[in-house]
Amino acid sequence: MSIPFPSLDYDPRVVWDYLFSPIILEGAQRTIVVALAAQALGVFMGVVSALMRMSKNPLLNVPANFYVWFFRGTPLLIQLLFWYIGVPQLFDNPELTRQLTSFRVAIFALGVNEGAYMTEIVRAGIESVEAGQMDAAKSVGMTYAMSMRRIILPQALRVVIPPTGNEFIAMLKNSSLAYAIGLMELLTASRAIYVRNLKIMELLTVASIWYLGMTTVFNVMQAELESRMAVGVRQGPPTLFGRLTEAFGAARTRFR
Amino acid sequence: MIRCEDVHKRFGKLDVLRGITFDVARGEVVVIIGPSGSGKTTLLRCINHLEAVDRGRIYVDGQPVGYREVKGKFVEKSEREVARMRASIGMVFQRFNLFPHLTALGNVVDAPIHVRKLKRAEAVKAGRAMLEKVGLGDKFDAYPAQLSGGQQQRVAIARALAMEPRVMLFDEPTSALDPELVGEVLEVMKSLAREGMTMIVVSHEMGFAREVADRMVLMDEGVIVEEGPPAQFFDNPRHERTKLFLSKIL
Repeated sequence: MSIPFPSLDYDPRVVWDYLFSPIILEGAQRTIVVALAAQALGVFMGVVSALMRMSKNPLLNVPANFYVWFFRGTPLLIQLLFWYIGVPQLFDNPELTRQLTSFRVAIFALGVNEGAYMTEIVRAGIESVEAGQMDAAKSVGMTYAMSMRRIILPQALRVVIPPTGNEFIAMLKNSSLAYAIGLMELLTASRAIYVRNLKIMELLTVASIWYLGMTTVFNVMQAELESRMAVGVRQGPPTLFGRLTEAFGAARTRFR
Repeated sequence: MIRCEDVHKRFGKLDVLRGITFDVARGEVVVIIGPSGSGKTTLLRCINHLEAVDRGRIYVDGQPVGYREVKGKFVEKSEREVARMRASIGMVFQRFNLFPHLTALGNVVDAPIHVRKLKRAEAVKAGRAMLEKVGLGDKFDAYPAQLSGGQQQRVAIARALAMEPRVMLFDEPTSALDPELVGEVLEVMKSLAREGMTMIVVSHEMGFAREVADRMVLMDEGVIVEEGPPAQFFDNPRHERTKLFLSKIL
């Protein structure tokens, strides 16, 4: 007997039943791990690629430009399929095919794709640092590399973090595309359940709640990080948490 | 100590330096004045190779800047060699250019630790002494954003001095400061001059120049128009352009 949800074939109890089931939990965990690893790879590649793009040496800036153009210009799903199915087919090597598990390929493909987008974010961050900083760093005897590492990139970080946060939120969601290469992540887990019990909407609700939960937690963490980084600089954008505590404090004072 | 021979520099179509020949002896304080666009800043930046000259040579302590002489020919120096040379030329900028993510002490010790490879304890000790010398003994842990302009510039001077340079270049060090903060920076510069530091100062602070300069230089449109000791330069200039410029600013 289902709960009277007026004339809809939807049973919220099913949502509750599966929300914390082992398969879903495992899928959620894998989603987070893949997203984190891929984002880390993406940031690393973005930094390298941005520096290469900014170089005057064509041996560096041409490959970097190609990389950004190609991986931003093709659908992520195609890239996933390319690395997982296309590459093994090309090399026809059973050992290679075995090593290219969907977990590893997902991280790699998502990371390489992310790097192309991170390139522009990092480049904008570096260019946002005043030219005088490089002058000052050089004038105390730092090489370009040391100036970048110790002076420019740390300052670029402040400008890079907000868009990177957005990218990570997109990454959490894009990781669901890895279902196409068989990765047992959150969406695949939900699907595995609903193809058996046919409760499609309920399971998609479960997955959505998890995605929303992860992205929301991440939003809060990012706002906290941004406010910590604004040492001695402008106040950061108002956060829900910040506004609540501020309102609470103001209310207490008024009603004392 | 510093020698410029027929230095030329152009940016795109603009000839900024058009044949500068100019010497600075050890311990000398030279003040360069001139209208904006005359090439004063560019000249300083060429001396420490923040810009490369197009023609002519600059020598610091007998070493050609940016180039090494190999069997009579000039070979471009590697980045690391240029960086090493820059470590012994201190520069102070109009807009301070302090590293905002480091404290005052952090700004001063970063280069000695990572460029000169000093031990942290030693560098911190020397850094504190340097900050005290410029009058900021109570501001070791302040971030640049928490300091006034005059304080920031003094940190910048301490930062440059921490590398024990042989010569200090000052590019309009007080031009971006509120008038009441100018004095504290000039005091630091004066005491540096009295200690015998070789200094090239681009500035409009005529009082400072009269008091401390060994030689005045007027630059205009990329060339040196006149140079001489302050007394003669201010009271008895020889060239029309000098007289004109001085009449506008004095």
